[in-house]
Amino acid sequence: MNKQSLVYTIVFTFAVCFVFVAILAVANDLTAEQVRQNQIVAQQRAVLNAMGISYQSDEEVLSLFEDVEQEEIDGTIVYITEKDGNRIYAMSFRGGGVWGPIVGILAMDSSLENIFGIEIISHEETPGLGGRITEEQWKEQFRDRPVPDGSIDVVRGGSTGDGQVAAISGATGTSNSMERILNNAMERFRELLGGRDA
Amino acid sequence: MSDTAPKTVGGILTDNLWHSNPIFMQVLGICSALAVTNLLTNTFIMSVGVIFTTMMSNFTVSIIKGLIPRKVRMMVQVLIIAFYVIIVDIVLRAYMPDIHEALGPYVGLIITNCIIMGRAEAFAQSNGPGLSLWDGITSASGYMGVLLVIAFFREILAFGSLFGFRIMPNWFEPWIIMAMPPSAFFFLGIIIWIGKTIMNHEEAAA
Repeated sequence: MNKQSLVYTIVFTFAVCFVFVAILAVANDLTAEQVRQNQIVAQQRAVLNAMGISYQSDEEVLSLFEDVEQEEIDGTIVYITEKDGNRIYAMSFRGGGVWGPIVGILAMDSSLENIFGIEIISHEETPGLGGRITEEQWKEQFRDRPVPDGSIDVVRGGSTGDGQVAAISGATGTSNSMERILNNAMERFRELLGGRDA
Repeated sequence: MSDTAPKTVGGILTDNLWHSNPIFMQVLGICSALAVTNLLTNTFIMSVGVIFTTMMSNFTVSIIKGLIPRKVRMMVQVLIIAFYVIIVDIVLRAYMPDIHEALGPYVGLIITNCIIMGRAEAFAQSNGPGLSLWDGITSASGYMGVLLVIAFFREILAFGSLFGFRIMPNWFEPWIIMAMPPSAFFFLGIIIWIGKTIMNHEEAAA
């Protein structure tokens, strides 16, 4: 058989594509359930992290998450938990970063004047620069951070006071995006929960 | 270079790790060398992905090389490479979601790494499956070695840490430029300089 003929080339190309893509389709299908499970756990882990609830394993995440109340207000799911006698609210946020959307969880106390914590679920920022928003050191800045005038300010270098967190050096774009995204999220929080048991 | 040298297991090893190192002799795969080398962990995982892909695509191309029509040779090679990269991506997403998250788009970009295509075309098309597999492993290891050296210096200078553990004292002021992709050129230049110098001495001595 002439391996350089047109018919052979077309049949061969078709067959090769078919075989490889078929294997990929099967592999994708086999892992789909696992991937979906990973996403659920990732979302629940993020909510627990933002609320400052610690856990050891994925199983513990699922059981701890059962104690978190979920309430749908105006189409947005708000997660509620009690901690040391205080009510803590958490909600997902989403906004544009430098290269793509940044998605995460913001937790606030019931007065809506203190950020309780944040967690990043997904982002497409530059690894090693903007990507450092996922590092503990950066996220910990938001833990129990009072926001008296209702907005957060990302400042360059130096010490930070109420309503301020330090920007990531080399990642001004990402830092500014986080400021905007979190301020929008806090605005949304006040729309949804304003006037409630504050 | 040593294209005419006999293809022995040892010869392939020293060629790919040193005499024809894909990064500092052939200057291939530079885009990923710039992008991922600011943290050792990312560099390591990315390189392991490249080793797996180069090895398996070389092996597969070598097995079916007799069946591939010349006209669509490169297209089939790209298809095979993309196939293995997507397999890596699917496995990471399902079983190592944290690493998948950390690497972001870089896994998909392994497809465009010219080293893999280069080895498929230059080696696997004309050699047997066993040698091609070995060529893939060593070639990608040569890539990994150089990248780890670059990442070692960049992570220390940019973050004061190694594999994420802080090792520099507190007074150390991080060099922000080392976190940026272009800074890899400084180290790449120095590595090529040192490599070439040693090689010239070897040649002069021989």
